[in-house]
Amino acid sequence: MDKIYLRFVKLLNPVLSRAGVDTDQLYEILRIKLIIDQRRPKTMFAQRQNNKKKVQSPWFVSFFTVLMGTFFGLTLFLNAMPYVAQTIYFSVFMVLMSLTLISDFTTVLIDTRDQFIILPRPVNDRTIAVSRILHISIYVLRLALLQGLPGLVMIGFIDGIAAVPIFFIQILEVTFMSIFLVNIVYLVLMKFVSPQKFKDIINYIQIVFSILIFGSYYLLPRLINVTLLEHISILSHWYSYVLPPVWIAAFNELLFHHERANIITSLLAITGLVVPLIGLWLVAKVLAPGFNRRLSIIATSDGLASTPATVKTERKSGLMDKIADLVAPDPVENAGFRITWKLATRSREFKMKVYPAFGYIPIYFLYFTLNGKGQSLAERWDSLKASHNYIVLAYLCTFLLMAALSNVAMSDKYKSAWVYYTTPIGEPGKILSGMYKAILVIFYIPYCLFWGAVIVGIWGPAAINDVLLAMLFGIIYGILMALFLIKGLPFSKPVMIKQSGGRIVTTLMTMIFLVGIGIGHYFLMRWETVIWIAIIPAFFITWIMLYYYKKTTWEGLEMADDL
Amino acid sequence: MSETPLIQIRNLTKFYGAKQVLKNLSLDIYPGQVIGYIGPNGAGKSTTVKILTGLIPDFTGEVIVDGINMADDPQSIKKLFGYVPENAEIYDVLTPMEYLDFIGKLYGMDSNTLQERAGKLLAAFGLANNVNDRMDTFSKGMKQKVLLIAGIIHNPKIIILDEPLSGLDANAVIMVKELIIRLSKEGKTIFYCSHMMDVVEKVSDRIMLINKGEVIADGTFESLKQNHSDTLERIFSKLTGSEDSGSEADAIINALD
Repeated sequence: MDKIYLRFVKLLNPVLSRAGVDTDQLYEILRIKLIIDQRRPKTMFAQRQNNKKKVQSPWFVSFFTVLMGTFFGLTLFLNAMPYVAQTIYFSVFMVLMSLTLISDFTTVLIDTRDQFIILPRPVNDRTIAVSRILHISIYVLRLALLQGLPGLVMIGFIDGIAAVPIFFIQILEVTFMSIFLVNIVYLVLMKFVSPQKFKDIINYIQIVFSILIFGSYYLLPRLINVTLLEHISILSHWYSYVLPPVWIAAFNELLFHHERANIITSLLAITGLVVPLIGLWLVAKVLAPGFNRRLSIIATSDGLASTPATVKTERKSGLMDKIADLVAPDPVENAGFRITWKLATRSREFKMKVYPAFGYIPIYFLYFTLNGKGQSLAERWDSLKASHNYIVLAYLCTFLLMAALSNVAMSDKYKSAWVYYTTPIGEPGKILSGMYKAILVIFYIPYCLFWGAVIVGIWGPAAINDVLLAMLFGIIYGILMALFLIKGLPFSKPVMIKQSGGRIVTTLMTMIFLVGIGIGHYFLMRWETVIWIAIIPAFFITWIMLYYYKKTTWEGLEMADDL
Repeated sequence: MSETPLIQIRNLTKFYGAKQVLKNLSLDIYPGQVIGYIGPNGAGKSTTVKILTGLIPDFTGEVIVDGINMADDPQSIKKLFGYVPENAEIYDVLTPMEYLDFIGKLYGMDSNTLQERAGKLLAAFGLANNVNDRMDTFSKGMKQKVLLIAGIIHNPKIIILDEPLSGLDANAVIMVKELIIRLSKEGKTIFYCSHMMDVVEKVSDRIMLINKGEVIADGTFESLKQNHSDTLERIFSKLTGSEDSGSEADAIINALD
């Protein structure tokens, strides 16, 4: 596949060499960059796969992209309103494309190694600039074609074979538009934030992206009523005129459904043709030069050593310090608490894996509870409000605890954990209990309290005791899980390759235990006082279990073999 | 040393923001010399190297290499240099062969010569069995060897080595030291940056000590010894202001009480 692109680039050689590009060097740089891309794990799908050494084959990623394209391509079949259908299709196309560009390609764009590998060699600036542009173009076009391929086929069935080339043009337009958008996002970010912050923000965009994909996969079929959708008239709202997908969809409307098209549709279609081209021109002429300059600042930010990355000491950390000393008074435990707190909130790797859980939980909740065939959304919402299903949400919060716990012992930089083994720690359980408390205090309890407040807001104060009890059971469940499954000091093990069979059984057992408790809780809910009373033994069980967790010895721990 | 200097640096000045890292630095380097370029952390060593290799294009002053002005034609100058960077940046998903092939082609080398030379060099550095392994499995020393090879593969006139011995085992260190001496006999000019004073002392024809962006000592090891102290380590600490390292150590001991 890549060979075809390279051969295509070779066709441009006469033009490029006249523009001052060394075509042999260009060819080599592109070839190497494409090899590196192929061997690099894709961040977008990598989260699900723990095995770091084994990179997914490019075919798998391509297949997945085509599958996504098919999935949202089905919207094209909304026969009654092809205009709406196309608008939805291109909106999804654009969002997906922009997010993939931001999340997957940033690492490529900011490959700081270029600075030391290519720049000291006799390669001129124009060659480097052109190689970067071509590299991006190849990446983007590959993505656009894979994503758009199912749509191209489908539109052939819907509007006839003549629509296919038109659709191809539409795909190109929407691609240009996405590039334009992403460029603006990058420029704005680069203008206002430091390189370090920039990478963090990209990280958050990736997290939001994965939540979005997850949410749309689970919830869209539940929330959207297809029959309703077919009667939406897009152009009845003025604001739809400023949405680029509307312009692009107008192109098809004008050519293949001209009996419905009017002067506004024609104007929109022309806008759709012209604006992306202007955007592309702006990117090439105005935005790209500044872009490259800012990029090289990011790349050489180590040169700006005069402004070291000082960790901001906020007022919040003063409060956190007090909490740390309060909940983990023992010095060793306190160390475990603080190291977990700081590493978990600062390491990108941990955030990437755990933070999406913040978004998954409400999505799961709505997925489980908002059912009811043939009812409208409002009816379903009313029946949810009338039920006691909020308990599901309270227990789902445990999912966050689970996500945090299963990742807290692992790190790419696990070798730094040598400090635990060279310092005379008699009771490693203290570190563990500090770690567990940190996860509770930083992630689990605030999150539970947040949803608790939402639940109380919607279902009334009678839910307070349920939320508290569920939270305590969640903590107990977490200790069980930590006891049997984690067995590692904070950030001390390499990212696990495979879960052994025994672990999966244990996970299932603890899950069943929690579900059982939840069901029991659900049946006891009619007696408010019973719940209040149950909180007391639950609290003591939590306390006792924490006490025993603290007693974990070195024998009960697993460590990396190759420290 | 009657020839014209191969590298001439005149009044080189560089600011990072408001901070001046190089202050009117001037130096001449003659062909075949091994220059030991030393200085404390933050003295401006890396900045000098980055300017010489074209990594930092904006500076004031003049850099002339082999009669070519850096401002006019950086590409021709880069062709003369071989550079081994300090921070071991490498595309580690590639194999050494792929990487060297890539680097060689950036210098416009012929494919056959390149393959043959890369193979021989890798074998000479003891990496014959790893030619087609990905470098992400390599140890630091192995990567450093590949970087060294990448720095000399196009047979450059001038070789810039920035801490080239980091991660290498004792045998490899001896080999690289020998290599530096042999390369200089072949007429190569070598610009050697390091904190390892004993190595600098042994391999350099001429030592330049910079501090706070200025050259504060320049000469053969012998001439520096006459004027200052008996080992390079002592000379270094005497000239860069931490001569009273005894009292610093005292302060450290006292802090533990």
